[in-house]
Amino acid sequence: MIKIANLSFSYNKETRVLSGINLEFDRRSTAIIGQNGAGKTTLVKLMKGLLKADEGKILIHEHDVSGKTAAQLARTIGLVFQNPNDQIFKRTVLDEVMFGPLNIKMDKQTAKEKAIEALKMVELDDKLEMNPHDLSLSEKKLLCIASVVAMDTDIIIFDEPTIAQDHGGKEKIRQIIQALKDKNKLVMTIIHDMDFVAENFERTIVFNDGQVLLDGETRDVFSQKELLKTACVEAPGITKLAERLGFKDTVLTVDEFINMKKTYSPPQ
Amino acid sequence: MKSISLYEEKASFVHDVDPITKLWYIPFAILIPIILPSFTISFLFIGLSLVLLLGAKVIRKTIPVFGFVFLILITVVLIQGMFKPENETVLFQIGPLTMYKEGLLFALTITLRVINIICAFMILVLTTKPSDLVEALVRKGMSPRIGYVIVSVFQIIPEMMATMSTITDAQRARGMETEGKLLVRIKAFIPLLGPVVLGSLINTKERAMALEVRGFNSQAPKTYLYEEKTYQFSKVLQIGMLLLTMAAVSWRIFL
Repeated sequence: MIKIANLSFSYNKETRVLSGINLEFDRRSTAIIGQNGAGKTTLVKLMKGLLKADEGKILIHEHDVSGKTAAQLARTIGLVFQNPNDQIFKRTVLDEVMFGPLNIKMDKQTAKEKAIEALKMVELDDKLEMNPHDLSLSEKKLLCIASVVAMDTDIIIFDEPTIAQDHGGKEKIRQIIQALKDKNKLVMTIIHDMDFVAENFERTIVFNDGQVLLDGETRDVFSQKELLKTACVEAPGITKLAERLGFKDTVLTVDEFINMKKTYSPPQ
Repeated sequence: MKSISLYEEKASFVHDVDPITKLWYIPFAILIPIILPSFTISFLFIGLSLVLLLGAKVIRKTIPVFGFVFLILITVVLIQGMFKPENETVLFQIGPLTMYKEGLLFALTITLRVINIICAFMILVLTTKPSDLVEALVRKGMSPRIGYVIVSVFQIIPEMMATMSTITDAQRARGMETEGKLLVRIKAFIPLLGPVVLGSLINTKERAMALEVRGFNSQAPKTYLYEEKTYQFSKVLQIGMLLLTMAAVSWRIFL
């Protein structure tokens, strides 16, 4: 779906933010993790056409993105930014969600239907006429997700979706990600919440100093304790607990932990 | 975040001078050529300022500023040289355009004064951290509130520029074309205003509260964040500049 070959980028001459990145993305939901400044957001901005690469290529559906503007790519790839206050432009919740679909030349009726469908998904469909700035931070974040979901792109990227979310909000985001996966869309996220990664993403890529340090099935990635330490990333709490209790396999969720605990006999 | 300050960190004797003395230099360098209106004095002060800028190793940073100023000064030279009402003596002709001596001399006076003013300000701006200058002024009795307003401008403008760039990215990400023709750019600029203005208002409110909870309005004497920048010859320089200005005034009145 996305092919990245030998990608390099720097904001200034002195420091290279990304160097020699080679990645391929299929339909598996993917989490991109790593410490701040590792190059995660830069990679996503390059894929979205918000930045132009110094070297290398990005192909989305076999088309080179280098000659396209971010606005042209908006039909294919959606990006939910981290701070909701930076991406709310309209006076009502419904108008806000219709902003993107109308920009990509969806007709008004379809745009409205898609918007309402997306708002139902995030449970904001009872606030259509409300001013977005009157919503709570958590609701604003969900509104921004709905605004991108309504554009019905093949690829959706979330930048730190769980920030400012309580348990209920996280649960909603988990359901949205699952619904998008069910629709056969490629869901990607940049995230620091490792528990959320372990529970919801099939593939995990670890960035360190502008390079890919680890890439694979989430379980395999979280089993690489030493390499994770290099990238200043910690495995999820439940994974660490299981490991300290002497479990041989890498545990990702509480349910897995309980199931294993039933069959586990501690070393004598 | 990109700073809007023109300050250039260098090791030089000009950088070592305290901000107040550099502030004194501005009226000194501007007033004397006005009090003693001769080209020699103007050239002398421009020369002095340029030597100081060279000594401070910041002369390269002045080029874009002078580039912009010269563009305006060229129009002054052309207008005064051709159209000043007192113009009488023809100096030269280029096709239908006639340049007069009186107008050109007047334009030269203006040009020298402008260059002199720019040079004097450049010495302060390029070699003094805004925070050092403000703190020095607060130590001399300026209200800390006004000081904070000045310093915060240097923080808020780059922040607003960064926010605008993020919002533009968010617009482009949702299919809004922001590049290309002027009309497209104007169309993209309008939705930008809402989040930028609203964001700034929210930030201002939060900033005010953050200041308040950290005792900004406390009446107790405050401890300064930075050590006072002192220069061993600052008093000598300040008194010297004052005496020279007084001497220039006396020269003008009595001789």
